[in-house]
Amino acid sequence: MASIVDESVTSDSANLEARSRFREAAGLVAKIVKFHPRLFVTAVAGAALFAVCTVASSIGLRWMIDKVILVRFNENRSDAGALVIGSVIIIGIGLLRAFGVVIRRSYAGKTEWRTAATLTDRVLDHVVAQPVKWHRSRMTGDVVARCGIDSDASVAILAPLPYSSSVLVMMLVSAAWMLYVDIPLGIVAVCVFPILLSLNIGYQRRIDRYYNQAQKELGTLSEAVHESFDGVMVVKSFGAEQRETDRLAVITGRLRDARIDAVAIRSMFEAMLDAIPTLINIALIVLGALRVRSGQMTVGELSSFIYLFTLLMFPLRIIGYLFSEIPYSVAGWRRIDEVLSETIIADPMRKITTSPRGVGIQVENLSYSHNPDTTLIDGLSLKIDKGKTVALVGATGCGKTTLLHLMAGLIEPCGGSISVGDGGVALVFQEAFLFADTLGYNITLGSEISAEHIEEAIDVAQCREFVGALEGGLDTTMGERGVSLSGGQRQRVALARAIAHNRALLLLDDTTSALDPTTEAKVLNNLRLLAGRQTVLIVASRPSTIALADEVLFMADYRIADRGTHKELLSRSARYQALIRAFEDDRQNR
Amino acid sequence: MNEPVGRFTTAKTINRGFGVAPALSKGIGVTFVLAVVGSLARVVIPVTIQQTIDKGLQPDDIRIGFIVQMAAVAAVCVVVASLALRQAVYRLGVGAENGLYTMRVKLFEHIHRLSLADHNEERRGALVSRVTSDIETLTMFFSWGALVWLLDGSLMFVVACVMISYDWILALVAFAVSAPLYFVLRNLQRRLVAAYDVAREKNAELLGTVSELVSGTETLRAYQAQTPMLRKSKQAVRKRADAQIRAGVIGAFLFPSGEVFAVFTIVAIICVGVFRGVDSGLTAGSMVGFVFLTYRFLEPIAEFTEVVDQTQTAVAGLRRVLGVLDTPVGPPQAPNPVALPSRDLNIELKDVSFSYSSRLDTQDDDLPVLRRINLEIPARQHVALVGESGSGKTTLARLIARLADPTIGSVFLGGVNLKRVANDELRRRLVVVPQEPFLFAESIAHNLLFAAPNAEREDLEKVIMNLELTDWVQSLPEGLETQVGQRGASLSAGERQLVALARAALTNPDVLILDEATSAVDAIAEVRLAKALQALSVGRTTISIAHRLSTATRADRVIVLERGLVTEDGTHDDLIARGGEYAKIYAQWLSATSVQN
Repeated sequence: MASIVDESVTSDSANLEARSRFREAAGLVAKIVKFHPRLFVTAVAGAALFAVCTVASSIGLRWMIDKVILVRFNENRSDAGALVIGSVIIIGIGLLRAFGVVIRRSYAGKTEWRTAATLTDRVLDHVVAQPVKWHRSRMTGDVVARCGIDSDASVAILAPLPYSSSVLVMMLVSAAWMLYVDIPLGIVAVCVFPILLSLNIGYQRRIDRYYNQAQKELGTLSEAVHESFDGVMVVKSFGAEQRETDRLAVITGRLRDARIDAVAIRSMFEAMLDAIPTLINIALIVLGALRVRSGQMTVGELSSFIYLFTLLMFPLRIIGYLFSEIPYSVAGWRRIDEVLSETIIADPMRKITTSPRGVGIQVENLSYSHNPDTTLIDGLSLKIDKGKTVALVGATGCGKTTLLHLMAGLIEPCGGSISVGDGGVALVFQEAFLFADTLGYNITLGSEISAEHIEEAIDVAQCREFVGALEGGLDTTMGERGVSLSGGQRQRVALARAIAHNRALLLLDDTTSALDPTTEAKVLNNLRLLAGRQTVLIVASRPSTIALADEVLFMADYRIADRGTHKELLSRSARYQALIRAFEDDRQNR
Repeated sequence: MNEPVGRFTTAKTINRGFGVAPALSKGIGVTFVLAVVGSLARVVIPVTIQQTIDKGLQPDDIRIGFIVQMAAVAAVCVVVASLALRQAVYRLGVGAENGLYTMRVKLFEHIHRLSLADHNEERRGALVSRVTSDIETLTMFFSWGALVWLLDGSLMFVVACVMISYDWILALVAFAVSAPLYFVLRNLQRRLVAAYDVAREKNAELLGTVSELVSGTETLRAYQAQTPMLRKSKQAVRKRADAQIRAGVIGAFLFPSGEVFAVFTIVAIICVGVFRGVDSGLTAGSMVGFVFLTYRFLEPIAEFTEVVDQTQTAVAGLRRVLGVLDTPVGPPQAPNPVALPSRDLNIELKDVSFSYSSRLDTQDDDLPVLRRINLEIPARQHVALVGESGSGKTTLARLIARLADPTIGSVFLGGVNLKRVANDELRRRLVVVPQEPFLFAESIAHNLLFAAPNAEREDLEKVIMNLELTDWVQSLPEGLETQVGQRGASLSAGERQLVALARAALTNPDVLILDEATSAVDAIAEVRLAKALQALSVGRTTISIAHRLSTATRADRVIVLERGLVTEDGTHDDLIARGGEYAKIYAQWLSATSVQN
């Protein structure tokens, strides 16, 4: 409740902010209305038809009261012709009005969702065009939100526009109409519009503040709940179930209190917004009776006047609510605009050239850094002959993964050149990423790959035993809605993907460490059978894996420190020995 | 915890919801009466018009005095009704908020007490949605849908009463002509709900596809395979838009149906009224009043059509919430707990079998995780559990920690059946250090205090010292006050384990169950961990799930599990000498980590 008190202090800046927000909202509307102008114009036309018919419907009523009802009950005469005409007017206008509503609502929906689709498409194009560097500087959830929730939020501003325009038309037409029917009564009624409107908008603004507060508490609660449930094992281990419940209950209590504050205000305003127009209406009846007495108005005119006024109250009542979405729309649009106005970073892949025959990969004078101040990789050169299997060995954080990602064209070097054999690169990441699609799609990723190649890849990657057990075979859906695979199985599917793509250079980033040593040995032996076709560079930490390679590249501090067979390196490099010993420390020291 | 959609009818679901959160329905009768009084404000205008025309504006006799008097009465009615309305809205809102608060808190506790089997990765998100978005659907419902049902429902009731009191024949005409609207609404409504279901489904598909496109971006780029996935996403975008538009168009036809019927009803009333004439007792005023009332009567229809979908969403949300509350909690609390002996807690497993499907099938493909295990672990012995993944060693450790109960057989701690030990005491005496210890996004001290909220600063420091971690803590930017970040992300994997060990040490447990980390940590942390572990396990019964065989070599006793059975049990040297499975695994491991291959 405290925020009501400080309202006067901040109202100036709030007004200023509201005005600039309004300008921003108008800019947003101007921009996105252009995506599907025809749909929008149709919706507004429907809205206008609805508005005019709403005002016109009072004509039918007036006709019926003056020419049929009063004639029949006060003068006891029947006028069948007037009854028919009145009926036709009422039904005709009623149907037209409904038609207007149907057009307005369906086209407002079309405008909104088609625009959302257009926006999402554009954001997707941008997101997909941005290379890995861009993605790494962002949270996945944030980018997904910009593609989905934010575009929905931006277009939410469009939904109420046709209806709002009809409210505007209705107010103008009915104001003219009321003034035409009776000037003094018309003036009173027309003065009511702005009063109710500002009351409404003021209420909306105030209640929004409480809703925002509640929304903030909800965010806190959601975060706390996530954490608490994630930590369920710890909670159970220490018997802290009750304590955690109490902690979450405190946050829930704050959410409840914020909402109850909102209910208190809302219930009051709901009642006021109900009472004030009705009281004015009563006053209009009294005033109208005076006009009827002085002969300046008929009973039918007065009744239709009151009817029209009643009819107008509903739109006036919800108009504030209609615009309550604006801040969300503007915020959503800002986030989308951020993505759309960013320049697209050049694809690092373009720098990778084709190496001469017989060379698997050649790196010359390569340099790389995350930021301008430091150079991580500086002047690194290496060359691997086609068809060789080479192990890349080094301590954690020495730059193995970075080097692999540079070779795969995922990130861009600052200088130097990389060339790979004709046919490109396939990289298998440390952690396999599988799509919630079929097994087949996970292997081909939508490329045309012959069934023969796929089957071969499945065999080479040692996937046969579990793929054979899948009833749907390659058409089996993976992931949440389908079969869930173990970590090692996922790695093997990722490996099958790389093998099926049949690229000249195969990069394995510690891929096989998730497999048990026996399976790993089988996979690596299978790979060697393909060695004539593919050059393999494998990041390895198990001595048994390293021993399977033709040659070892020993990496330390972002440089190739040494190169040779496993035995050669062991005998001549103290650092290499120390590293390998660290790998087996496990066995000796613990 | 499967979602029991359709298991209960809507009415039964709502009733059970009231049972869970009594505040939702408490005093609902009074609220309804207030709402009925509140809706009187909306019939004031038709009645005033009728009275004005009939009694104030007779062609030959215009009585302004009467009109003013009547207007004053009407104004008072409006004010009273509005106050009642205010009260009704407030009571409904406060009742809802209190009720939903209770429901949330009940959910928190219930979910925390669910067994670990109900807490796996896939279900975690669902559980979070139960207390967040599902309860939110109810909040949304109570802040709009419920209001509409309550206020518009009582409005229709009041208007119908006023109509009948004016003239029952005209009222019947009004009801008869507008009756077919019910069938139109029901038909369109059914389609609308189906269309919304499709829209929701397409929306989920869109979000799923887009989130894969984004999170799989490195993979897609590594294979230059963005285009097919982008095409798939855009298809999902279009399908979602189509589904939303379809629902919108059905809604567009549904929305004005009430007004269309109102028009026909009004014409019918006027025709019947005019036909019957003055002799029937009808007056011009009551005719006009009837026309106004007809609009009032059918006006709520449009709003009803808007909230039906929301109502169904809310009921579905409630159903899911009840589904969680119906899921039995993990090991139940001991009703009459027996105290544990003060020292020397030995562990005994008698004929223990465990199956996740809660029944022991004999079929080969659904083998129990553990089968007829009999074990005795004396106090202060250090035991290493060895076996391939899936052999049952984690489950065995969980049964000893009573994170689950055996399907058959019993586990005894210090001679007392675990089922009869109070949870609080058990958690003080026995601590589990999981593979990936979880840390809250707070300071290290806060995370330590989680184990023992009443511990003093000195206790923390003593534990840190005993575990030889003082120099590590001092090396941190803010010592014990260092923030660990989300799930402890600012610390390395090894450091997170150090915190977990210190946390365990703080409770000074008699039994320590340790699930070793599989992921390698850097060499310095490794040494620290080994030392801390050594210090921690002195004088305690320690059961390690060994992923490194080096742990087994140091244990007093090695227990080998294979497909749910204890196949070997003895010291490291014994088992090596025996030349069985353990000796084989050990030899394999030796060769995999050997320098010379």
